[in-house]
Amino acid sequence: MKSIEDLERVRDEARAHIRIRSSAGSPRVTIGMGTCGIAAGARETMLAIIDELKKRQQLDVTITETGCVGLCAKEPIVEVQIPGEPKVAYGNVDAARARQIVVSHLVNRKIVDDWVINIRKEDE
Amino acid sequence: MVDISLHLLDLMQNSARAQATRIDVRVSEDKEKDTLTISIEDDGKGMDEDEKRLALDPFYTTRKGKKVGLGLPFVVQAARMSGGDVKIESAPVSGTKVEITFSLSHIDRQPLGDIPATLVAFMAGNPEIELSLRYTGPAGVFSTVSHRLVCEEERETLGQIAWLSLAEKRLRAGLAGAGFRPDGGGVIG
Repeated sequence: MKSIEDLERVRDEARAHIRIRSSAGSPRVTIGMGTCGIAAGARETMLAIIDELKKRQQLDVTITETGCVGLCAKEPIVEVQIPGEPKVAYGNVDAARARQIVVSHLVNRKIVDDWVINIRKEDE
Repeated sequence: MVDISLHLLDLMQNSARAQATRIDVRVSEDKEKDTLTISIEDDGKGMDEDEKRLALDPFYTTRKGKKVGLGLPFVVQAARMSGGDVKIESAPVSGTKVEITFSLSHIDRQPLGDIPATLVAFMAGNPEIELSLRYTGPAGVFSTVSHRLVCEEERETLGQIAWLSLAEKRLRAGLAGAGFRPDGGGVIG
């Protein structure tokens, strides 16, 4: 980077990126953060997801949290929603599983069957 | 809950559920007085006297379809088993303050845990809430506010994943400067 023009180009690229991100098109990851989720390790799960997404430069993903969904024994629960595809909920997601879900589901678009606890069509 | 930072995250979730727009977290280790004090103060909807009393009952919850509400009872248990206690000040509209004290050197005191991880996890789910932290540790004081830690412009240009990573890095550096160690202050540490 050598000039103001270069800087402006970087800025414009970043802005274009933000526009893509803030549209409805970005994948969403929701982590259960109720008392049960926290006690089961949801915080480490969330930090592992953030770290793995960052490492793989998958910055166009939105992370949100939810409370207890009534399935405390399966916490930490992570729900992955890719626009136009069914919502997939995974159970007992520790940090290692979380990293694998990021790679397999979010990067390579392949559901990790073994840990799925529920699959819902988007309009349900 | 295996450490104090997890209790903290749980109580911050209570504040978020009470529609807080601002949460002040204070963590203070005092070797001379032999106390570890954590306080969480929010500007949420608060509780009246009855709710305040019921909040400590593990079979009371404000959520429909649930039979238990274990967050605060867990905190009380952790505090009391290590020679400490929990104090709740709350009034409808004005908000709630929960203050937890532990005996710092008590053998049964849970470790402090990963405070920066707690704050980052909370910011990820509640980016709009203004979170302030004041940590008093063995080497000094570190205080910050979430919207100064990573400003609005940085959040916009970096995007959520990258600004959260940056927040984590800055929090860890700041807290380390004040002598924070994830399991610091105990008889073993």
